[in-house]
Amino acid sequence: MRVSRSDPGQEHEATLIGRVNRGERELFYELIRPYEKRVFVIAFMILRNEADAEDAAQDAFLKALKYLAQFRAESRFSTWLIQVAINEARLRQRKSHFEIMRPIEDQENEDGTYTPRDIADWREIPSEALERKEIREKLIAALGSLAQKYREVFVLRDVEHMSIGDTAEALGISAGAVKTRLLRARLMLRDLLAPGLDGAWAGHSQIPKGTKPWS
Amino acid sequence: MVLKCEDVWREISNYFEGDLDPALKQALEEHFTQCPRCQSVRDGVSNVIKLYGDKAMLPLPAGFDARLHDRLAERIEGQRGSSLGWLGVAATAALAALTLFASAHDRSLPQPRAQMSQPARRLPQRLVAVVDGGKTFHVPGCPFMHGKYHMVTAEEAVREGYAPCSRCMYEALRSAGYVTPDFEGEEVASSETAAK
Repeated sequence: MRVSRSDPGQEHEATLIGRVNRGERELFYELIRPYEKRVFVIAFMILRNEADAEDAAQDAFLKALKYLAQFRAESRFSTWLIQVAINEARLRQRKSHFEIMRPIEDQENEDGTYTPRDIADWREIPSEALERKEIREKLIAALGSLAQKYREVFVLRDVEHMSIGDTAEALGISAGAVKTRLLRARLMLRDLLAPGLDGAWAGHSQIPKGTKPWS
Repeated sequence: MVLKCEDVWREISNYFEGDLDPALKQALEEHFTQCPRCQSVRDGVSNVIKLYGDKAMLPLPAGFDARLHDRLAERIEGQRGSSLGWLGVAATAALAALTLFASAHDRSLPQPRAQMSQPARRLPQRLVAVVDGGKTFHVPGCPFMHGKYHMVTAEEAVREGYAPCSRCMYEALRSAGYVTPDFEGEEVASSETAAK
């Protein structure tokens, strides 16, 4: 869709794809290396389980190898690969949970306005806090508590830094829907991460006034 | 331009995307100077974007790369054949013997009709687009496809109870020589499962 022939990265990718398809299959490693983490992360945020996500990611790469000859340069290879990964994770999710396990929040109307909580003493969580495993786990739990449609958009745009357009294409939704869900996801996470509030971030522990749980 | 808090909340994500016209951006910034609540929303959202966007946030599990390469190697190097040397020759011979045995065994048994007709009705190994909430699958880009979609293999689509689009997919399958007269019959009529 937006393939720019002047982009050397994409030209290199197109060359690699051609060579893999002509039989130099070991070049597939080089082709997918930049996207290993992205494929794992999207599978992880759909399935919310590391082992399942790794299996889904492996299956997605195998499937991408199998169907590489069908990849058409109208879209980016990375977007196509993410589509394959999302699909693999969703299939696995359907097989293991069926519909009854889908979070209730999926039913909510995303067009409704969301009112962010009034938090008087917002404090910044510094990036250095990510060095602590329990902080990362709480952030992952907060994101995992969102309905899937918000998790998927948020993880592609804000975790993996894909563009709005590529996120929309990967998920098969409009750019407008990406923006609406992104807004909601960011506001909900902001509320979940606010210190002192109940929820996935703060849990039920009482945080003494004036202290930062992450410092 | 005077904004209400609700207007600010609606635009806060676009503010961070840099997706606002200059007048609206300026109005938001003026609002922030006077509204502690919206400042807190802005700072909180900024924090969310910064933290989750950090590379350290979701590292790959230890050994992920090696395990992935092991699985891919089975497929990539396994198909080169000769690279396995004598082991490969032995394995090929064993497989050939097994295949001969299996086909001899098959001939000695009556086969059900469905099994005999399977090769002609087997679906091509290609990715197709399934519209969410719909009942059909399409060649990506089919003009009769509307709304959100995801990609699955044709086999998966059929297994999940989706029917081929009577325009794009039927045409694609027929031109590829895959369609037999009963294609639209039993194979696509299986019950719709957890596909919505």
